Amino acid sequence: MEEGSNKGWIWGIVVLLVVVLGGWWVLGQKTPGASADTIKIGFIGALTGDAADYGEPQKNVLVLAAKDINDHGGIAGKQVEIIYEDAKCKGPDGANAASKLVNVDKVQVILGGSCSGETLAAVPVAEAGKVAIITGSATSPALINKSPYFFRDYPNDSSQGVVLADQAYTKEGWKKVAVIQEQTDYALGIFQAFEARYKQLGGTIVKEEFASNISDFRSVLAKLKADKPDAVLVSVQTAASAQRIFDQMQKLGWKPKLMLNDVTIGDPATLTKFKDFLEGDIGANFNLNDTPKFVALRDAYKAAYGKDMGYPTYSTAVYDSLYLIKEAIEAVGYDGTKIAAWGRSSVKNWEGASGSITIGPDGERQSGDSIFQVKNGTAVLVQ
Amino acid sequence: MDIVVQILLNAVIAGAIYSLLALGFNLIYSTARFFDLGYGALTAVGGYSVFFLYKILGLPLIPSIIFGMIMAGILGWGVSELVYRPLRARKASNTVLLVAALGVLTVIQAGIAILFTSQFQTLSRYVAEQQTYTILGGVITQTQVLILAAGLIIMVLLGVVLKYTRVGKAVRAVADDEEVATIVGINAQRIMGGVFFVGSMIGGLAGISVGFDTGIQPTMGLALLLKGVIAAIIGGIGNVWGGVIGAFVLALVENLGAWQFSGEWKDAIAFLVLILFLLFRPKGILGK
Repeated sequence: MEEGSNKGWIWGIVVLLVVVLGGWWVLGQKTPGASADTIKIGFIGALTGDAADYGEPQKNVLVLAAKDINDHGGIAGKQVEIIYEDAKCKGPDGANAASKLVNVDKVQVILGGSCSGETLAAVPVAEAGKVAIITGSATSPALINKSPYFFRDYPNDSSQGVVLADQAYTKEGWKKVAVIQEQTDYALGIFQAFEARYKQLGGTIVKEEFASNISDFRSVLAKLKADKPDAVLVSVQTAASAQRIFDQMQKLGWKPKLMLNDVTIGDPATLTKFKDFLEGDIGANFNLNDTPKFVALRDAYKAAYGKDMGYPTYSTAVYDSLYLIKEAIEAVGYDGTKIAAWGRSSVKNWEGASGSITIGPDGERQSGDSIFQVKNGTAVLVQ
Repeated sequence: MDIVVQILLNAVIAGAIYSLLALGFNLIYSTARFFDLGYGALTAVGGYSVFFLYKILGLPLIPSIIFGMIMAGILGWGVSELVYRPLRARKASNTVLLVAALGVLTVIQAGIAILFTSQFQTLSRYVAEQQTYTILGGVITQTQVLILAAGLIIMVLLGVVLKYTRVGKAVRAVADDEEVATIVGINAQRIMGGVFFVGSMIGGLAGISVGFDTGIQPTMGLALLLKGVIAAIIGGIGNVWGGVIGAFVLALVENLGAWQFSGEWKDAIAFLVLILFLLFRPKGILGK
């Protein structure tokens, strides 16, 4: 008995030693981010759930961009490898994904996230690991100057809320607007920018919020309807939420004038599905032009995936972000701190698929949104 | 004025769905005597079966719905036979059954997500062309009227069957005391299996209704289950009519709350009502 338990002890220690030393050895083999012939870059985005509508095309364009870069000699002579992490558009998942990329994969740059919530959670983790993080589609104003390691090549929502407020009060003459807002960082950011400007102009706002897991909007809509607003701002996180709202507005027999944010007016599928319902409504979106680079990407996407590129505005900005990072690494080396500093100082009139990109010292892209109107199922720029 | 009518109509529609949930839950709970979380996932099974048959394969509506209910029923029965029955035979405690049921819920949800993705889906093929009716300024759609009718028919059927038929009496006997029922010659295992089948079918129909009314997601089950449970507790757990009354009370309070305060408080209000009932009237409105 006594002998047996002694032996047990010894075996326990041996196993422990093997595990600890073995683990040390295995983890020690992991080269930080760049090995002799590859450069690892992380991606955080919504690859499942409603927000995958925009997360998935972003992954698709990155696959195309990485292939293109690798076919043309890679980054500074090394092949680029992107590690895709699904953060489901949720804060905790964003933090987990960032922590995995920073601590396990040891990347120096992260692209993403595709939503503001996951990005807000990922940025502090990236900063702690001295890793640069660039997003092409998280647009919340709460991210402005959140960290010196963060920058973006997509305009933030302050401009979206402001152009909508100006259009509503000044051009359309709407004095009272109802807002239905999803309880997410992105949707809140748009509302706050809108509210600040609209109230400053003299308008009144009534507002209802809803959690992302809610699908019954009837009473909320009935309430807003009874307030008799001149128009309704639909500030949602995903086009799926917007579709549920439109659907239930129809069931209520209510068709107010609508103002849409970029996830809704930027989604061709929603505009087609609710073609008659949305006719004449307005929305704010980033203005893309048919530049040769954009057209080339659009056609390559269609050829590779057999369907149209979803959310072209976000997708092109995310596509451009990888090329920006390529230039950064070639200019300052594979180092998170230097790449972040480069992002905030060296991007001036950089021509990408999403147009001419200039990023200010605050890490923000220097061009804003424009007003679009839904005509016959497509969004047309309002001049 | 018409906002009041609309809020009341909304409450009636939500109440119809909650009452289906409560009916199925009550039936299973009062017989099996444990908190069957897996029941929640069967709502999604019903919803997704119809999604597959009606929307993807393009089969006619009524057969799709019937088949969806049967699918949910078979799965509910299968789970009861394969998981709960061996556990009960081993005299497992209710906590063990609860944990097993949580496992069932998780597995079914994951299975649906693998098969159909976790994307939100709607069941109706044509949204814009739905027939709507206006009552005193409030609007209700044809689908919603049908859901309401289905809820009422099932409630009456269930009530009558349980009260007046031999099978119904056997179910009540098993619910009262399984051992005594077995001694007097009732095949308690078969009755239990049947109860799971029928209860799950009703849960499946609730899921299908939700799918036509708003939409479905693999994880929809737990939230729906909780609404059904709250309705059952408010009305008097184990009481068929009580569950239905509880469902309409819950829906009314929720929708009035959303109107008077704000929509985001709906769930909070539902649980507040639950706590109040548990504290001050644990037997529910009707009692057992």
